Amino acid sequence: MNTILRVIGGAAVLGAAGLAAFVFVPVQRTVAVTDLPADWKAPEGAGEYVMYAGDCMACHTAEGGEPFAGGRAIHSPMGTIWSTNITPDPETGIGGYTLDEFRAAMIDGIRADGAHLYPAMPYENYRLMTEEDIRALYQYFMEDVAPVNNAVEATALSFPFNMRFGIRAWNWLALAHEAGPSAATGDAAFDRGAYLVQGAGHCAACHSPRTTFMAQDGLTESDENYLTGGEVAGWHAPALRGEGSAPHVWAVEEMAAYLSTGRNAHSAANGEMGLVVRDSLQHLTDEDNLAIATYLKAMDGEPGTPTVAEAATTTETMLTEATDLDLGARLYMDNCSACHFVDGKGAAEIFPELANNSIVTAPQIGGLANVILHGAELPSTEHRPMKLKMQGYADRLSDDEVAALMTFLRQAWGNDAPPVAASEIGAFRAPAH
Amino acid sequence: MTDLPGFPSRRSFLKASAAGVAISGFALAATAQPAPPIQLDQYQPVFFTDAEWAFVLAATARLIPSDGDGPGAIEAGVPVFIDRELTGDFGTAVDWYMQGPHNAAADPLLGWQTPLTPAQIYREAIPAVNAWCEQTHGAIFADLAPDQQDTVLTAMQEGEVELAPEIRDFFKILLQNTKEGYFADPIYGGNAGMAAWAYIGFPGARAAYKEWVGRHNIAYPLGPVSISGDRA
Repeated sequence: MNTILRVIGGAAVLGAAGLAAFVFVPVQRTVAVTDLPADWKAPEGAGEYVMYAGDCMACHTAEGGEPFAGGRAIHSPMGTIWSTNITPDPETGIGGYTLDEFRAAMIDGIRADGAHLYPAMPYENYRLMTEEDIRALYQYFMEDVAPVNNAVEATALSFPFNMRFGIRAWNWLALAHEAGPSAATGDAAFDRGAYLVQGAGHCAACHSPRTTFMAQDGLTESDENYLTGGEVAGWHAPALRGEGSAPHVWAVEEMAAYLSTGRNAHSAANGEMGLVVRDSLQHLTDEDNLAIATYLKAMDGEPGTPTVAEAATTTETMLTEATDLDLGARLYMDNCSACHFVDGKGAAEIFPELANNSIVTAPQIGGLANVILHGAELPSTEHRPMKLKMQGYADRLSDDEVAALMTFLRQAWGNDAPPVAASEIGAFRAPAH
Repeated sequence: MTDLPGFPSRRSFLKASAAGVAISGFALAATAQPAPPIQLDQYQPVFFTDAEWAFVLAATARLIPSDGDGPGAIEAGVPVFIDRELTGDFGTAVDWYMQGPHNAAADPLLGWQTPLTPAQIYREAIPAVNAWCEQTHGAIFADLAPDQQDTVLTAMQEGEVELAPEIRDFFKILLQNTKEGYFADPIYGGNAGMAAWAYIGFPGARAAYKEWVGRHNIAYPLGPVSISGDRA
């Protein structure tokens, strides 16, 4: 009996000590992957370019706020996370950060004061960046960005997510990978594309699924679930690899055009991806967007040529003959066919193709429902400045009609997605933003 | 064709229709349920007095009678359309040049010369026509037998009903407005249930017939769709 008590007591003491260590022992910061000379200077413009590649502005700038001054609400299942001020203001920004502290925030998710960042900051991905890029970015924020004194609202998640030390355990799972870029294959375009997609571009943050612990399920192509599709703000972030995915079907040049202009012969960037094109990708060089496209195309080896679905012809014939159309097909003729046409192909760079369109066939119906109800607008980009707009149909279509139309679209031209019920539409009637 | 106020050319009609399509998006209610067709006998005219309303009901019923194979002006709700039209931009000549000098008796080729708006012409012309009917046929227009009403309308069209120069074009605009109410989109109050479109085989505001350009001698199978998305 005494022995048992002693064992229990001992275990309790050990547990308490362990917990105290877990909570209070200072965190370790990963050292730089490359030992650069102290007087190393990034070339002119390099830091700003890394900022665009990393899309820092999108999260760290509030709607209508000063650039990088923080205060944008990022909604997570755990509560609202407020993005921080990353201008070099010493009081409210990162003006007091040393290079080592800045690097730790980027690749370890650790603040200068040692507290853990919430993984809304994609340090899982930034961990794969080169030291040169991190130095360039540090130099950019310290020297080129104007300090803005702006104290942002403190993030206050509900228990237990407000216990930042808990992130430490999470990091054991999510940050198991070595810092620094993936090994080069020798193909310059592929390697550059891989670097941008895996690292600064943090594509996997949306396009990889999440594990049970909400970590990104796949950070490089050696991970099975990497870029096989995720969810962001109720929209489906489509798979970027595998049969039928856009990189599989589109030519490399078409993918590059989509990234730099938000539009191509097949599709148009809507929702969150529209913002990524506007704030980040359009600022990359054509070579880099081609590199990203090359990497996505070649990641799984040479993809096969997509076969032209016979079903596409069946739908086109049905809409052309236009006899005995069901409600969904009739609604398509009355509302959509003027721009997207009976072949569902739309028009290159203007009206997106609806066959094999990831928004149309997504498992989450939010994207398609939002576009039908509230319309869509293309981002203005340097190469393609026109903000092409689709009108919304919320006033014109009932829930029954929207559901019938969506069901039609999800099964037309060879699309093969489940039908949509009218009861699912009401949730999207209020505009998302 | 000249493009004069009150007698729009095909071009200005098309322009006006396009504007209507653009505006309609804002004018619709927040729900997507189609508005029920207006019941003519329950309709409260906005512009017309009771006497004027009786005249317009009777006159449009003869211009597009109900006993043909298609819907008549009454079934199509044409009087509702005209009532609304006269309170709107057309009736009030809101975007026409309406300053003097006016010479109402000028050559008709010179276009709209009367100082009156279309709504004012209806207001002044209906009592004048009724007075002429009483003098000639012993009753106001609405109380005449249908064949007598046809005689009066024909006389008006031939210019045999003596009207002051300011209102001499009354028959022209009445006939024009009747056609408009019959064929315009239901959003404006006429063409109830798109019956006039269905009757002539016009498919409405679908605006997409690319695949039909080369399909000759095949009947177009789809019924019409209205600006607000209703189907018939």
